[in-house]
Amino acid sequence: MKKKLVLTVLFIVSSLCLQAQTSGSNDGWLGELKGGIRIQKTQKLYWENGFAFDFASPKILDSRVHLGLSYVTTRLGSAMCTNAIKQDNFLFSPGYFFRHQKQLQPFARLNLGYFHADYEYAIFDVLPNRAFLFSVDAGLSYEFRIPLTIHLGAGYNLNTGNGSSRPGTLFPVFYQMSIYYSILKQK
Amino acid sequence: MKTIYILSRLLLIFMVGLSACSKSPVIDNATMLDGDQIFDPSLYNPVKYLVSAAIPNPTTAQKNTPVLIAVHGYTATTFEWDEFRAYSSSKANILLSQVLLGGHGRTYEDFKKSTWQDWQEPILTEYNALRAKGYTNINFAGSSTACPLVMDLIKNGQIGANGMKYILLVDPIVIPSTKILTLVGLVGPMLGYLDNNNTAGEEGHYYHFRPQETLQQLLDLTVKTRKDLQEGYSIPTGIKMKVYKSIKDPTADAISAVLIYKGLTNSDGTKVDIEMLDSELHVVTRLAGRENVTQHDKDIQTHVFDDMYKMIEQ
Repeated sequence: MKKKLVLTVLFIVSSLCLQAQTSGSNDGWLGELKGGIRIQKTQKLYWENGFAFDFASPKILDSRVHLGLSYVTTRLGSAMCTNAIKQDNFLFSPGYFFRHQKQLQPFARLNLGYFHADYEYAIFDVLPNRAFLFSVDAGLSYEFRIPLTIHLGAGYNLNTGNGSSRPGTLFPVFYQMSIYYSILKQK
Repeated sequence: MKTIYILSRLLLIFMVGLSACSKSPVIDNATMLDGDQIFDPSLYNPVKYLVSAAIPNPTTAQKNTPVLIAVHGYTATTFEWDEFRAYSSSKANILLSQVLLGGHGRTYEDFKKSTWQDWQEPILTEYNALRAKGYTNINFAGSSTACPLVMDLIKNGQIGANGMKYILLVDPIVIPSTKILTLVGLVGPMLGYLDNNNTAGEEGHYYHFRPQETLQQLLDLTVKTRKDLQEGYSIPTGIKMKVYKSIKDPTADAISAVLIYKGLTNSDGTKVDIEMLDSELHVVTRLAGRENVTQHDKDIQTHVFDDMYKMIEQ
């Protein structure tokens, strides 16, 4: 299941790159494709780190709407060499960026995705370990003169654990920082 | 000008929020434990509840009799283990100490100003008193918040192998089921306190109101416990642990059992014993005062009591 999701993410990103390369020079469909790392901290819980991609096109509300894909996991954070729960988050994040032609852009996003926790022992198979992710976040994006962009944001998870039907490590508030490198950009 | 207007409105909202901080609950002294008329009975009559007080000079036979220190959870009192007292009273070969946590069983103000270290202190006091009197077979049973309190004592080496045999944890809380607790530092001062929603049978035995200060203490304790387990530690040699965990616990998320299983090991590196119970209750061993208790709930309580007793009397 996890492999399928990773392959799906890679396929979507590859498709976006291909689309950007082929259409960018003809009709200006490509705006910018950025890729980088995402560092996330859940309030009173784990560090979850991973990868993130961000795509914007002048054909989509004049680059005001960005489409993001990200994968963060405790495997690259709190669970490294500790007993923290190994958990994975796959997110699709459409967001609206204000002041889109400025270096400093406030943004607001909706995050939809899939959560999976690995409890490792069969005795815990009776507990829920997967969930639909549904959160909102907002923050600031700063685009440097070099091809680097940084996102700082805070979010609220609307589908948290409840002790019975959802995983217990789904907490409400999280903070994230993403650092992107501009992979493709229309001139 | 517009900015000043917005800032002034935000300041007004903030001040309204702050004004809620000073709000104290309306306490009915005649019915609520929070008032100044109802107190936990162990405060009046410690001899009935504490083995250390009941037997000032134990005989050799008494010193070798298993003693169970039973400790209740957050907002509760010794009432939480009364049913085990009734269960074990027919069995002459164990002694029971029902310890009242610090800050509990008294008044709202006493509870409000207590810290989790205050809650913990009577557990260690009774354990040390029993050891000083020469008891050789001491056991511990904790429900809910009592579990992280005793786990902290183990982590700090304050409860050692000397005299302690079994540690039995019932619905330990490491991760709360209600995740909004993680925001108590932000919203707590605006709310002041929360209502415990006691049933008629629980009123007088559990605090009716939860001061936000104590919720912050509970959060601090659970976060510390989670971090300790994340790093991992072992139980001292000679002590055995068993955890009983309800899988649909509305108060202590069942994932608390996963964290304990991963983070706490026996002295030889093996895993502690965990039993996941098909229950929707928090603290499956306490049925008194609840509404709509089913036969299934009673069966689970009997099963856990039997299992605990079998281990302790060995």
